[in-house]
Amino acid sequence: MTVRQRLWRGVPYLILVLSVLPIIVGYFWLVLSSFMTRTEGLLPVGNLTLKHWSFLLEPPFGRGYPSIWRVTLNTFLIAAFMTIVVVLVSALTGYALSRLNFPGRKGFLSLTLILHAFPSVTLLIGTFFVLRALNLYNTSLGVGLVMVGFEMPFGIWLMKGFFDGVSWDMERAALIDGASRLQVWWQVILPTIKPGIAALAIFAFISGWNAWLIPKTFTIGAGQQATLSVYLQNFQGETVAVDWGSVTAVGLFQLIPVAIFFIFTQDLLLNIYSGGAKGGA
Amino acid sequence: MKVELENLTKRWGKFVGADGINLAIGDGEFVAFLGPSGCGKTTTLLMVAGIYKPSEGTIRFDGKVVNTVSPKDRNIGMVFQSYALYPHMTVYQNISYPLKLRKMPKRERRERAQDVADMMGIGDLMDRKPAMLSGGQQQRVALGRSLVKEPQLLLFDEPLSNLDARLRLSMRGEIKRLQMELGITSIYVTHDQVEAMTMADRIAVMKDGKLEAYAKPDELYDRPRTLFVAGFVGNPPMNFLKVEVTREDGEYRARAEGIDLLVPAERGEKAVIKGEVIMGIRPEDVSIADGGTQGEIYVVEPLGRDDLVDVRIGDIEIHVLANPTLGTKMGERTSLKFDTKEVQFFDPETEQSLIWN
Amino acid sequence: MSVSNRRERGGVPSLSLREPFEQPSSIGAWLHSRRAAWAFMSPAVLLITLFFFIPVIVLLVLSLSDLKSANFGTFQWWLPTNWSLDNYSKIIGDRFISKFLGNTLFYVLTTLAIFNFGSALLIALITTHINRRAGFFFRLLWLLPRLTPSVVYILMWRRIAARAPHGILNQFLTLAGLGGGDNLLQTMPWVFVIIVNGLIGASFGLVIFTSAIEAIPRDYLTASKVDGASTLQTIRHVIVPMIRWPILFVLTFQTLSLLTSFEQILLLTGGGPGLFRTEVWALRAYHLALSTESGNTQWGYGAAWAVILVIIGVAAATIYMRVFKFDELVEEPKIDLI
Repeated sequence: MTVRQRLWRGVPYLILVLSVLPIIVGYFWLVLSSFMTRTEGLLPVGNLTLKHWSFLLEPPFGRGYPSIWRVTLNTFLIAAFMTIVVVLVSALTGYALSRLNFPGRKGFLSLTLILHAFPSVTLLIGTFFVLRALNLYNTSLGVGLVMVGFEMPFGIWLMKGFFDGVSWDMERAALIDGASRLQVWWQVILPTIKPGIAALAIFAFISGWNAWLIPKTFTIGAGQQATLSVYLQNFQGETVAVDWGSVTAVGLFQLIPVAIFFIFTQDLLLNIYSGGAKGGA
Repeated sequence: MKVELENLTKRWGKFVGADGINLAIGDGEFVAFLGPSGCGKTTTLLMVAGIYKPSEGTIRFDGKVVNTVSPKDRNIGMVFQSYALYPHMTVYQNISYPLKLRKMPKRERRERAQDVADMMGIGDLMDRKPAMLSGGQQQRVALGRSLVKEPQLLLFDEPLSNLDARLRLSMRGEIKRLQMELGITSIYVTHDQVEAMTMADRIAVMKDGKLEAYAKPDELYDRPRTLFVAGFVGNPPMNFLKVEVTREDGEYRARAEGIDLLVPAERGEKAVIKGEVIMGIRPEDVSIADGGTQGEIYVVEPLGRDDLVDVRIGDIEIHVLANPTLGTKMGERTSLKFDTKEVQFFDPETEQSLIWN
Repeated sequence: MSVSNRRERGGVPSLSLREPFEQPSSIGAWLHSRRAAWAFMSPAVLLITLFFFIPVIVLLVLSLSDLKSANFGTFQWWLPTNWSLDNYSKIIGDRFISKFLGNTLFYVLTTLAIFNFGSALLIALITTHINRRAGFFFRLLWLLPRLTPSVVYILMWRRIAARAPHGILNQFLTLAGLGGGDNLLQTMPWVFVIIVNGLIGASFGLVIFTSAIEAIPRDYLTASKVDGASTLQTIRHVIVPMIRWPILFVLTFQTLSLLTSFEQILLLTGGGPGLFRTEVWALRAYHLALSTESGNTQWGYGAAWAVILVIIGVAAATIYMRVFKFDELVEEPKIDLI
């Protein structure tokens, strides 16, 4: 192999490395900044310190900001609520659409498809009034429900696909064995599509955990309804001199569950986002 | 339990899955639904199981209409080609699942499942998952699961198709013996005519959603009422050739180019009225022997015990079972002797037998 | 036959054995016979009604009214007598309409061309032609922008673009003797808006293109190699033509997504700097109707801006479904009880 050929073989890797450079640099700075007194560009200034992480022990930003643990719990509850409801409702509906014969099945399926492609953010203004009418504006439940609703078409479509792959004979066998449709669903079919459920659950949890726009739009202020994203953003916006160290530490803190999924469920993630990713931005 | 199907029909839009099936199955009888894929045999079976709702017609169990009874209340057991075991449950959980759904106490469940498993010879595999079993063992679990609730009707949907040849043979015998011992009315769907012939008391041959014939195996073999049945039943399949049957000097002769055969009078007289008819003759009734009809050996397929020899007489193709020691060779001239005692005649238009209708 | 088992049915009349074909005789019986389907479907029906149907209707009605924070609580926007098309003529007459339209077109087309389609295809092609594990690793890294909480992601970018001496990019520019050290979000906001959105959006196409390329039977690629084609020729003449449907799918899907996306822009520049420098159509609707900062919320007028996107969205989604024949994926159930 000539030197020229060798160089050519390196080109693809060079492009790939350059393309992921911004996000790598961003992460590098995030970690650096949270453990250093301060940073200038990518250079640390001062000493290694844990003071930016003191928010774990006491509310760091003062002035009425709730404790990080309270916000974390709140975020977790919203994400967990979203995960459970999205998975449960999608699994019910996906099963019915894949397996049951009822009038309106085809219509509902096409509707689900159209809603799946339809950008739900355009409905935020209308949703605002629905939440007010239900008395759910500025509540965690309201935020959770809106996110569940917007996630529904994708969840149903994904689950339907998994149900489509289950053997009809197995379901027939269970019906003959004496199970009702509900028992078939719960005892026979759901256990066989656990990977699909895991995929949807991870997807729903991450989007619930990361959510900013919906919680920000449907809650007011930095009260206890806030998620970590809202908390973090409010803090950047309101303080005059941004305490970058603490901000990055909170940001890293929020990244923990995402990092866990990223490290341990790589294959699943790439699969989910092939069907699930629909945001253009 | 007796099963009666009356004008049983299943349609999906314009597509007709089963078309006016009429048949009755006696108590304890073993009936096979035989036909090529897509002939409607599984559709009919699933209607009997209650999985498909009939578009028309009636299903009766012991005289009572069960059309709208759900599968779980029909007291049936079913075995599937894919076994349809629950992959997340152990063998014990699979077998005892029907009992669990009936809310049977745990101890009784355990005993009954163990009894059935012992009977099936899988009593020591109770804690395994289906994925850890061989195909034959999985089929036994499926059979055990269908038997554990002591059904009054057993349905088999091509249960042996996924097994290798040797295992298929032994399972065939086992299912037959089990059915006889337990005396449970059974319907067995298969596309394999050997399976149907060897196992069933009666065979329902189906084609394009319609019932072509419903008779005992030997009757189907000896007295096929349609061309389809004659061609489908028997292995290797019956030879068909277009002939003209004439009566000369009180004798009946079937003629085609290069062929001139004397046929029994009682069969020949039924075919003589028509012009050209289809004659059927089984490979075992044709032999390679000197002084017969002249032909050329086109291809020889050794089957082990016999050679299946394809002989061409002009454009006519005749399959013959020959003794391998004859040493038949491709391209050689040969001579065929026809034993016309069992010869069949069919109307070329209606494809109905001219002899048995 | 254990017809006696029927007692478990709890005496449901429609299941009696007397009549062979009992047609549902009343709406009650009809509902009853479909109770399984209802049990499975009702939660989703409720959620979709609450968060898709009603909002669409509310949005339409709002867009016809002049509801704003000044008359909120007193103005009866739901009464047809208060409806008019004024909001729509107001949009057309908006002093900045060409600015918003231009911004939106520029944003959608540039991001789509460079990232959501261009980079997605390029990275998909590269990562499927190098070592499998390396390819997987880089695709996974490309997923990071999408997995990172948007607030944290934007936080990184603000720091990357910040003025000297804090800004990461400025640090390098200064070293190279190139920049004035100003905040790059002020001097070149569009560059960042496009990169920030593009890096997230590209992963969609990347994953879809990758699975499409990997689904191409190896034989075609081998045949092409045997015929003496170079890698680039193979890509051009074999791979790209074979993935033209996924390409069309990504292009159309991402156009719609970009058209309606604004979360990252809102976080990064808020539509600025200055007057509407990076404000796109969707962000304009959001600012008018849902932004609490301005104190003057115009629900009615904002809704009219959103309705236009909704109409485009519904139309586009309907067309995709036709073009990509998704309804053919619908299979008849192979059990017809209930």
